[in-house]
Amino acid sequence: MHKKKHSFAHTKAFWLFVAPALILFTIFFIVPLCLAIGFSFTNYDGWKTMDFVGLDNYVKMFTDPDFYATLRRTFIYAIVNLPFKVILPLLVAALVTSPLLKAKTLVRTFVYIPVLLSALVAGITINWMFGEEYGLINFLIESAGGERLQWAMNPILATVVISVATNWVSIGFNMILYIGGINNISPELYEAASVDGANKVNSFFKITLPLLAPTIFIVLLLSTVNLLKEYTLVQGITTGGPGTSTTYIIQYIFNQGFTQMRYGYASAIGIIAGLIFIVIAGIQFKLSNGGGEV
Amino acid sequence: MKKRQIIAAAMAGVMVLSATACSSGSSSQSTTAAGDTAAAGESAGSTGGQTLTVLLSEEPNEGDALTMMLNNWAEETGNTLDVQIIAYDDQLTKFPSMAKNNDLPDLIATTRLHQLYPDEFVDMSQYFDTSMFEESALKIVGKDYVSDKITGLPYNFTTTCVFYNADAFEAAGLEAPTADDPWTWDELYANAQTLMDKGGVKYGFAADVSRARYDILMYANGGSLTLADGDTFKVNVNCEENVKTLEDFVAANQTVMPQAIWSGATADNPADYFKNGDVGIYLSGSWNYSDFANTITNFDFALMPSPMGTVSQSSIIGGSALAVPENAANKDLAIEFLTWLYDADNFKTYLQQDKGLSSLKDIIYEPDTEDGKADYEVIQGEVEYVTDTFMVDESSAWRNYKDNEYRDYIKRAVSGEMTAQEALDAFANELSESSGWAIAE
Repeated sequence: MHKKKHSFAHTKAFWLFVAPALILFTIFFIVPLCLAIGFSFTNYDGWKTMDFVGLDNYVKMFTDPDFYATLRRTFIYAIVNLPFKVILPLLVAALVTSPLLKAKTLVRTFVYIPVLLSALVAGITINWMFGEEYGLINFLIESAGGERLQWAMNPILATVVISVATNWVSIGFNMILYIGGINNISPELYEAASVDGANKVNSFFKITLPLLAPTIFIVLLLSTVNLLKEYTLVQGITTGGPGTSTTYIIQYIFNQGFTQMRYGYASAIGIIAGLIFIVIAGIQFKLSNGGGEV
Repeated sequence: MKKRQIIAAAMAGVMVLSATACSSGSSSQSTTAAGDTAAAGESAGSTGGQTLTVLLSEEPNEGDALTMMLNNWAEETGNTLDVQIIAYDDQLTKFPSMAKNNDLPDLIATTRLHQLYPDEFVDMSQYFDTSMFEESALKIVGKDYVSDKITGLPYNFTTTCVFYNADAFEAAGLEAPTADDPWTWDELYANAQTLMDKGGVKYGFAADVSRARYDILMYANGGSLTLADGDTFKVNVNCEENVKTLEDFVAANQTVMPQAIWSGATADNPADYFKNGDVGIYLSGSWNYSDFANTITNFDFALMPSPMGTVSQSSIIGGSALAVPENAANKDLAIEFLTWLYDADNFKTYLQQDKGLSSLKDIIYEPDTEDGKADYEVIQGEVEYVTDTFMVDESSAWRNYKDNEYRDYIKRAVSGEMTAQEALDAFANELSESSGWAIAE
C-alpha cells in the first residue's frame, strides 16, 4: 500500500513537471498540425470558404511544376550550405578554445552577436550591405574603380548573399554547442596524445573530432532542418527573387496560403514538406546511429 | 532507442509544419488631438473624448492630406486618433483575421478591402447623399465589384501619370511631349536611353511594381485581360497584343529600366529612385504629386501625357476609399468624421493639400502656381485616356478570383525565368480555372 502511494506520488510529480511543456507543445504544435491536416482536404481560403475537396489539393500539388522546382531549389540550397554550417563553427570553436588565443570572451561575444538579432533584422542588414543600387558593398567596389555587382538580379549572386547571411547568423549558436562538446573532452587524452608524439592537427582529427560526434550530429540535424525551412532571412534579403530563384519551400507555402489565400492548398504542401523533412531527419539518425558515430 | 529516434524525427517534421504561421509587421501609433480640450465638442453632433481607430496602408508622407484632416478633426472635436499601419499587401491577410477576432478599426483607408469583402462594410448610401460624388469615382473606387452597394466613399481619386525629371531633360536636350503631340512608347524608350547617355540619370525609365501601372501599356496596345461574352466574360490575358506588350516591357527592363525592381529581386521603391534623381521618366500615379511637390528640392520635375501605344493612349483611374466596417466598435464616430470631411469647406482644404483630382462634383483643386496649373491640366487630361477595355475588365471583377498572381507572373517574365508567352499562358489558365471563364481564342 505504501509502495503504491509512493508510486502514485512519483507519477503525479512526473506529470506536474511535464504538464507545462506538454500543454504548450499541444497548443502550438499538435493542434496546428491537426488543423493543417484537416485544412489540406478543403478549399479553405482563410475566412469563409471551406468545402471538403478530398485529395484535390494533393493531386494539384503533385502535378504542379512550381512545387517540384521549389523543392529542388530548397534541397540544393540546403546541401550546398550544410557543410559550411557544420564545419565553420567547428573551426571557430576550436580556435576560441585554444589556449593560444587571447581575449577569448570578446571573440566569442562578437561571433555570437548575430544570433541575438531577429532573422528579419539580419536579412535587412545584409540587404542594406548588398543592395544593388545603394548598398555598401557596391559602393566600396565602385569607389575602388570596379564594376557594381548584380547582387539582386543574378540568381547565383542572390543565393550567395543569402548563404553568407544564414551562416553569419547561425555560426555563433553552433559554436556554443561545439565549445560545450570540446570542454567535455578530458584534457588527459590530449596530454597522453602529446606524450605519444601527436601534434595539434593529429589531436584534432584523432581525439576532438571523434569525441564530438554527438555534437556534430545535433548541429547537422538542426542545420538541415533550419536550412530546409529558411524563410525569414530570405524575406528580408531578396523576398524570393529575382523571379522565384530564391523562393524556398516555406516561402512557397506562405505565398500560397497568405498571399494567394489558398490555405487548403498551402496546408497540403506543408504536410508533404513536413513528411519529407521527417524522412530526411530519420535517414540522418539511421546513418549516424543517433549521433553515436559520424 | 528506435522509438526515441522516430519521435525525435517526427518532432523535427512538426517544427517544419508549424513554421508556416508567420506574419508581417504592422505598427500602431496613438495621436492625441492637439490636447486642446477647449475645442472639444465644438463640432456639431460630436460627443468628444472618444478614440477613432484608423487603418492606413503606409506611413503617411510629410504633408499627407488625409492625416492632416484627421488631425484637424481630432483637434476640433476633442477626440483622439489611434492610427494603425498595415502594408498594402499585408492588409489582405490581416483583415480576415481582424474580422474573425472582432478587432476591426473604425475607419479604413483602402483601395480594395471594401470591394473584396463588401458584406463586412457599412452601406454608405444609408448615411450620405452619394449624388455629390463624381460618378466614375464612385463606380470605380467606392462601389462593390458585384452589387450596387456603396461600400466606401472615394476621397483620393487618382489616375496613372508620367513624371519626368525636367533638369535631366534639359541636360539631354530633350523637349517634353505635349497633349497635342504625345510620344509613342517606342519614342519614350528611345528617349529614356538618351537620358541615360546625356541626361545624367542612372535609369531612363522606371515604373511602380503594380499591375495597374503595367496595364496602361497593355491597354494602349489594344490588349485587355478579359473580353465581354454576353452576360459573362472570356479570359484574354494571353492574347497576341498582350504577349507583344510584355516582350517589349521585358526588353525595356533589360535596357533602360532598373530590372531588379520588376524582377522581384528587391523591395526598393522606384519613387525613391526618382526622388533621388536617378530616374529620368517615372510611370506612377497622381497620388505622388503632392509628396513630390513637398519633398523634391534638388531638381525640377513635371508631368507629361501618357505615351501612345499601337492603338491609343491609355490611363487607369482609381484611388482610395474610406470605409467603415459593420462591426467596428466606434462606427458612429467614423461616420461623424466622414460627415465632417465631406463638408464642402473641409473637403476643399483637403483637396488643396492633396493637389489631386476631386471625387466630389462641385469642388476642385485650384493650383496657385503656373507650373502647378500646367501639371494639373496634364492630370485632368489623363482621365480622358481611360479605355473601354479597362472598363470591361473592371466590370468583370477579375480581381475577385486572382490578383497578385498576375503581377508575380510578369515579374517572372522580367527576371527571365519564363518567356512572356509562358507567363501569360500560366496566368490565363489560373484565372480561367478560378473564374470558370473560357480562354478566348
